[in-house]
Amino acid sequence: MNIYGNVVSEHPARKGDQQLGVLFDEGKVRKRREWRGLKDTLYDYWRWLGIYVILIKFIAKPRNIKGFFRYRWMANYLFVPHMLDKFTMGLRDEPLRIVHTAMDFVVQDVASSIDNVFRGDRRTGNDTEYSSHCVLTDENAMTAFMMGFKNAKAILREVPTMFITNLLNQNSVTHYLDVAQSVGIPGDVCPMPEAEAGISIDDDYGVLGSCAVQVNTTCDGSLMGNGVIAKRLEREYGIPTFQLLAPMRHREDDVQDYAAEDIKKAIAFVEEHTGDKWDWDHYFECAQRVNDATRKRLAWLEINSTAYPQFVGAPFSLYNDTNYMGNCGRSPLFPPVDKKILELAERGYKNKTMMAPEYRHRCIIWGVQPQYVIDMLNWMVHCWGVVPLTDMLSMVNTRMIAEEDTPENREQAYYDMAWLNENMIMRNRTHGGYKVLVDELWKFCDILNADMVMLWEHMSCKALDGMHGQFEEQARQRGVHLVWVCHDLCDPRVYSRQAIRQQFNDYMRTVMREEPLDPSIEILTDNDAF
Amino acid sequence: MRKALGITLGAAAVFFAVTFTIYFFNLDSKLGAMAYPFLEKHYDEMPRKSYL
Repeated sequence: MNIYGNVVSEHPARKGDQQLGVLFDEGKVRKRREWRGLKDTLYDYWRWLGIYVILIKFIAKPRNIKGFFRYRWMANYLFVPHMLDKFTMGLRDEPLRIVHTAMDFVVQDVASSIDNVFRGDRRTGNDTEYSSHCVLTDENAMTAFMMGFKNAKAILREVPTMFITNLLNQNSVTHYLDVAQSVGIPGDVCPMPEAEAGISIDDDYGVLGSCAVQVNTTCDGSLMGNGVIAKRLEREYGIPTFQLLAPMRHREDDVQDYAAEDIKKAIAFVEEHTGDKWDWDHYFECAQRVNDATRKRLAWLEINSTAYPQFVGAPFSLYNDTNYMGNCGRSPLFPPVDKKILELAERGYKNKTMMAPEYRHRCIIWGVQPQYVIDMLNWMVHCWGVVPLTDMLSMVNTRMIAEEDTPENREQAYYDMAWLNENMIMRNRTHGGYKVLVDELWKFCDILNADMVMLWEHMSCKALDGMHGQFEEQARQRGVHLVWVCHDLCDPRVYSRQAIRQQFNDYMRTVMREEPLDPSIEILTDNDAF
Repeated sequence: MRKALGITLGAAAVFFAVTFTIYFFNLDSKLGAMAYPFLEKHYDEMPRKSYL
């Protein structure tokens, strides 16, 4: 429950644009950028220049120019600053700086990932020596099994092609969905693996690496898509694949031996094909970073449990996805960013900084998130005063893994890597039974003092749909406001952005009987926007 | 020395004025939006080996 009640900002009115609707017309992009008062506008301008430095450094390499004109998904990267505008809408002071610290770093990380792809890609850089040390890892894989490889590089091809592009342009994957459906794959499956399969069918992935590791996380949809991708990799490009299969009942003790054994086999597979050997020093160095990231994430959540949450919404979710799953302790660049974010969050908490003039409700976001309208979480704060404290994809492993190199810990390490693999984002809740999906939601409501849950109902997701009745019944018993918001993940043709927001609007007006804080953004004309 | 400083400051002022105008009126994203259909046409015309 919300023990804080309505929280009203003690600070003077927000500087600059008060009604955020002034930023929108019916165009593909916003009419103009936000005036945030002199200090914060100049800060945002400075960060915008920084983004362009990243983009220009990237495109200055001939192999990356070649990649830009070869791969359809690259065109979406014209809209990187547009993505930052969505996530920073209405923000000032510490929240603005937190979002830029997190998301600008994600932009840098993604640019680096694409650069790595094009370096090894047979069609662009064709650096065969580099490519021989590359391991294509499934977007949905916890890259824990790569933690002990100093030289072998994990290349997550689907992240820059499918996942990130949908944050930049809502229609980024519709072409690939059409391609997949044109060869007979049904349209009512999860669009994420369908789009990934479509990219492979359309031959629009970079081709590199000595081997590939695919996973059964998130779900059976991923298995479907992986089959299509593996066929092309193995038969046309001669890149062997390994299937790393996390057990379904991942909370049960009796499956852990199998899971650890599978990790050992994945590691042996990578060693065989890359020629790189597992390095325990490197592994435990990464393990320390994993634990550090866990501690920081718990600290951010602790601040979010107070009356003045700071690091929330899509940036919180996306940054956690990048750090927890894509990075998994392997890069030393993340800890200083984590530290900076925590410093800003602590400062914001001490200053009682708020993102909107009033917080009326404290909300947990549950279910599978649609990327093309994930900025809705920021919109909820400004339009309705509803703060998204955390989301299901950020409620991941909180257990510390072994980080000291001892003979016992080397054996424990396989179980730790297996545990991380089983607790891949989203999958740790959509599989494993009702306890992880339903029961723990209510515990988080208590811990984070939430009075509302927004439940993303992904209409193509067979995993969560079956629990609909359980959620309804238990929310009613607990007096938690449960707002169902239906979507189709990365296909905006099924549910448009406004149709998605309208579900939330309807609940707030008809059930909560409230008026919006900022009525100018209740209805947004961005259905045709990027 | 003074002349060099003056030129540098002048150049910085022009750089700021131009880039801030692009930034505030979102001209960079608007240009991208104009270019996007041409890029899509380019990708559509590329020969591809598409199969399941």
